[in-house]
Amino acid sequence: MKTLIEAKNLSKVYPSGGEDTVALKDINVAITQGESVAIIGKSGSGKSTLMHILATLDRPTDGELMFAGRHAHNLTPAQVDHVRNKRFGFVFQQFFLNARNTVLENVTLPLVIAGVPAAERNRKGLAMLENVGLLDKAKKRAGELSGGQKQRLCIARALITKPLVIFADEPTGNLDTENGAIVTELLFKLHKQHNITLVIVTHDPDLAKLCDRSILVKDGRIVEAA
Amino acid sequence: MKFFDIVKISQKNLLRAKLRTVLTVGAVFIGALTLSLTNGLGNGVKAYVNDQLGNVGAEGTLIVRVKQSQQNPVSTDVSEYNPDRQVGTFNISLLDETDLEKIAQIEGVLEVIPDNLPQLDYITAGDKKFEVAAYQNIEGLNLTMTAGDTVNEDVPNGITVPNKYVAPLGYNSAEAMLGTTATLGYKDANGKTKNYEVTIVGIQEQSLLGNSNIVVSQTLAEKIVKDQTDGVASLSGKYVDSTIKYDPNLSKEELDDLKQRFNDAGYGAQTVQDQIGIISTVIDTILIILNVFGLIALLAAGFGIVNTQLMSVNERTSEIGLMKALGASRKQIFLMFSIEAASIGFWGASLGAAVGIVIGTIVSDFASKDFLKDFVGFRLVAFPPLPTLAVILGIMFLAFLAGALPSLKASRLDPIKALRYE
Ligand SMILES: Nc1ncnc2c1ncn2[C@@H]1O[C@H](COP(=O)(O)OP(=O)(O)OP(=O)(O)O)[C@@H](O)[C@H]1O
Ligand SMILES: [Mg+2]
Repeated sequence: MKTLIEAKNLSKVYPSGGEDTVALKDINVAITQGESVAIIGKSGSGKSTLMHILATLDRPTDGELMFAGRHAHNLTPAQVDHVRNKRFGFVFQQFFLNARNTVLENVTLPLVIAGVPAAERNRKGLAMLENVGLLDKAKKRAGELSGGQKQRLCIARALITKPLVIFADEPTGNLDTENGAIVTELLFKLHKQHNITLVIVTHDPDLAKLCDRSILVKDGRIVEAA
Repeated sequence: MKFFDIVKISQKNLLRAKLRTVLTVGAVFIGALTLSLTNGLGNGVKAYVNDQLGNVGAEGTLIVRVKQSQQNPVSTDVSEYNPDRQVGTFNISLLDETDLEKIAQIEGVLEVIPDNLPQLDYITAGDKKFEVAAYQNIEGLNLTMTAGDTVNEDVPNGITVPNKYVAPLGYNSAEAMLGTTATLGYKDANGKTKNYEVTIVGIQEQSLLGNSNIVVSQTLAEKIVKDQTDGVASLSGKYVDSTIKYDPNLSKEELDDLKQRFNDAGYGAQTVQDQIGIISTVIDTILIILNVFGLIALLAAGFGIVNTQLMSVNERTSEIGLMKALGASRKQIFLMFSIEAASIGFWGASLGAAVGIVIGTIVSDFASKDFLKDFVGFRLVAFPPLPTLAVILGIMFLAFLAGALPSLKASRLDPIKALRYE
């Protein structure tokens, strides 16, 4: 299996007045194409920070990140934008939807950024909404959706560019058991159908068990990889 | 992102904060309206002045006077008496026959036409007599005529009259007056009233720059002036100024050289354009001052745009972060906010120009019917499309500049910081 993302001796330090906050230290991970990985650990242990660095959203203070065999810091800004837009899909803990725009407009945002023509955009958007069971809500404002529906919308948005990897930060964190189960099922269905790599940050041991393996982070270090 | 999509998103964002957008657009609107009205006024007046230039001076002519010892009529200096110089009304040194001969010798002078100013008492075509003043015809004078033609030297007793005389002299229309005879009355050197029968060969359109006097042929003007000054030493053969003709194909440099030769010989020579130039300078100065007010208003509006856009960037920090996380480039974010700023400029400027045109047209129509009704063809406010478009584009550019700092700030946002921003 091909290694998609590889981190070598990553560290992240936040300089804060007198004492620096060490968010990550000596991190080594390799994520293979098509696998599902859970990043688990206590609150404040550095899970989100690690995910952001792996997803090129944040830069490490030290160490190296490789994406598809290339050094991430050698990528031009345009290439980074391309990777974020086409190769990665993101599901954030706080949804980050545009409440005033319609559900369809929200789901097609990555395609707008990519410069896809409107007709094609809407066709793909509606197909994706059907996938996550939100087709009847397409013309509604995103702000009118329930929490579970919002998270499904976020997943649809993450998938619309047919990415290689989906990074999900606490995708079920804000949802009740029932909605959490729906979202989990959806993620793993896509993972299996399209061989999409999953990187899921979670508190939930049940969700972690569904993944091929888990990475336990404690105080900025990986203490256990199973 | 497609350009069209960026524009669409920008307009949507502007509509999102309606009140704020309206207020910012309003500030631009006030500046644009001021600029639009002052420019409209300037264009209207200047277009008319240029149009009328032909009515006061023929092509290829200079007006020559003795170089005045006192250039400024309100000067506190007193000049010493020069027995060789005849001084007329208002202390103007006059030209005499010697001067005319000297002028004729100057290189480049084709013809010297001393300006005979006949002092007429009245014009009549029946019982009633009306006050009248006359100019001497200069060949090539490009008067705007309501009917008939300009004075022709081959018909010495042919005159043209301004159309305001049509009704008083008892005619229904300018056409009806053409070819009729009238009588000019004046006093000769001895104070005796004399009459002279003339034929009306043309009716002049009224204008801003002169043209409200009747025009008589050089022959007639000379005859009347001779009658009026014969035997009066201080007036006979003396002229305030003289028209000279030169080759109208002269370049600007050659014309300047010609003027310099006059200057060296002790005369001042001006084209009509030179004389009108003073009016233009005054108009320009007034317009510049008014435009400065408009620009100050726009400057204030520019700060309003900076403020609005900074607020907008702050409010939408997480949205910008999301877009960057989803692969939007710096350039796209910068463009999105810049177009937003330029749009504020566009809406303000377009509305300002549109309202300016409406107000200007209403005022123009009113003025043409009221206090400017004698000035046929005078639009007080004019809006040539290209300068209007240039003003709109200029304001859009100003708005873009005002938005540059906030747009740059947005484009530089770190996606993580933006996403963690609550
Ligand atoms: N911008 C920042 N400046 C300073 N310190 C930061 C910053 N962002 C994160 N940290 C610190 O880095 C550490 C790791 O944060 P991170 O968000 O990765 O934790 P987490 O494991 O995702 O926690 P949670 O489960 O609560 O989301 C924390 O101690 C946090 O306070
Ligand atoms: Mg976290």
